[in-house]
Amino acid sequence: MTTKDIGPKNPVQKGAEATIDYVDDRSGIKTGTRWFLFRNIPAGTSWFQTLGFTAMVVFGMQAITGIILAMYYVPDTQGGAYKSIEHITNEVTWGWLVRGMHKWGASVMIIVVFLHMARVFIWGAYKYPRELTWVTGSFLLLLTMFMGLTGYLLVWDQKAYWATVVAVNIFASAPILGPYIGDILRAGPEFGPSTLSRFYSIHMLVIPGAIATFIGLHLYFIVRLGISEPPWSKRRLRIERDEEDARRAAAREKAKALPGSANYPASWPVEAKEAAR
Amino acid sequence: MKPADKKAYDKDYSNAKKTGKPFFPYAIYKDTIIAGLTVIAIIILAITIRVEVGEPVNPATTDFIPRPEWYFYFAFELLKIFKNQDALTPVIMATFMVPNIMIILLVVWPFIDRGPERRIWKRPFALGLTVIVTGLLCYLTWMGANSPSGVASAGIPVSGLDEQATKGMAVFMANGCTSCHMVAGVGAPGPGPDLTQEGAKGWDNAKMIAWFKAPKAPMPSYASLPPQELEDLATFVNGLGTKYK
Ligand code: HEM
Repeated sequence: MTTKDIGPKNPVQKGAEATIDYVDDRSGIKTGTRWFLFRNIPAGTSWFQTLGFTAMVVFGMQAITGIILAMYYVPDTQGGAYKSIEHITNEVTWGWLVRGMHKWGASVMIIVVFLHMARVFIWGAYKYPRELTWVTGSFLLLLTMFMGLTGYLLVWDQKAYWATVVAVNIFASAPILGPYIGDILRAGPEFGPSTLSRFYSIHMLVIPGAIATFIGLHLYFIVRLGISEPPWSKRRLRIERDEEDARRAAAREKAKALPGSANYPASWPVEAKEAAR
Repeated sequence: MKPADKKAYDKDYSNAKKTGKPFFPYAIYKDTIIAGLTVIAIIILAITIRVEVGEPVNPATTDFIPRPEWYFYFAFELLKIFKNQDALTPVIMATFMVPNIMIILLVVWPFIDRGPERRIWKRPFALGLTVIVTGLLCYLTWMGANSPSGVASAGIPVSGLDEQATKGMAVFMANGCTSCHMVAGVGAPGPGPDLTQEGAKGWDNAKMIAWFKAPKAPMPSYASLPPQELEDLATFVNGLGTKYK
């Protein structure tokens, strides 16, 4: 890209522009950003279409608060895990807030994702051509729930421990693959220190990685296919009204042309009949 | 959707786009407002309703309420619905068939419902499904939230325990059995069955121990307990409702 020179320029500005151009030449970042931000979307998009973005922001918040928690958390079954949670809650500056946000954020994310899915379902937004957007989304729902399951155990308190024992046994009870899944989750035949480490790594590395990947795919589909228009947008309603009118007019024409029909010969003008209804 | 429907949709959508508005700022401003409000709501919740630290894992106490997160209540309730059935099939229903069928339906739904209609009032089946599934989830979650929690107690109020059964009761309490089973009003009302009358089955200890070692899921295996403890535990459980009431 060339810059028009109108008089001497401040060297800082010149340098900045040169840098941006240098990066853009190699990465296409300017074009890409413009393509992403200034693409057209249907005019009648609704407030319900903000839920997916909200889910993404909450996921981002979970990542940040989670990273902070990981700085203090110790996955130790001999009381260390429990103590580190106590330490975060009672001693670390703002620790209670970070933990509170992470815990509440998990519940809110489930609700937001569910509402987002309900919106997509009710709008029929999963229909052609957005089928694969839905498929990637359904994996996101499952992964989000799995996040809750694995995170719950990390506190290593009574109710979480036993609830997780039951949950893992449910997985293990499945035919054929079940026993293997159970062993993988427990890191062996029984609950113990390795189970906690395993849940920790699944919770903070495996699933977040998978979620980030699927959000990437999800977004790719959304931008490529465009966000759907509300099925009852003003524009759609107008089109439907026009179509309905056209259909009526055609039916009238047909009726007039058919010998033996009630309207043949028209004893009174169809327009008058229409008005009388 | 037939090819003609797809073409019509593509044409209609490209018209919608042509007469549309740029994503920035018309959509992003709404997104930012709702996402911002949500984050603020989370912070307010975190400040007003503090997260507590529960009891540390200590298998020797029973005064705790074993509970999953609220968003799994529906699954636990589902399990309870099937828990008193002794046949293998119903358990498999709750833990395997029902969830997997739901998951598969969820993932492949767009390939099942392929009609061109998008207005919900013209899709009675989809509307009914929305109402029924949402209603059922809310109902089961509400049931889970209101299910009586395990009763706090230092012991199980049964009389007539001999020495071995007393030891067996200690093993019972120390290994989290009460987090799934209720005995004489102590313990959680599920997912496992109430064991108050378990002795009435008339099992011998060997059969009971075999069960402890390889139970039907979701009950965990207790194969790692020392043989003596298994023996004590089996004696205790096999006498419930008959010798020890
Ligand atoms: C972590 C979870 C999720 C994130 C971050 C996410 C993100 C998004 C975003 C940002 C959009 C753009 C439009 C909007 O905000 O409504 C969107 C659209 C969409 N999402 Fe999701 N989503 C998630 C989960 C789901 C789930 C569970 C489903 C369904 C099973 C789903 C299916 C769809 C579909 C089909 C669209 C396209 C809708 C349209 O074009 O109108 N998503 N998603």
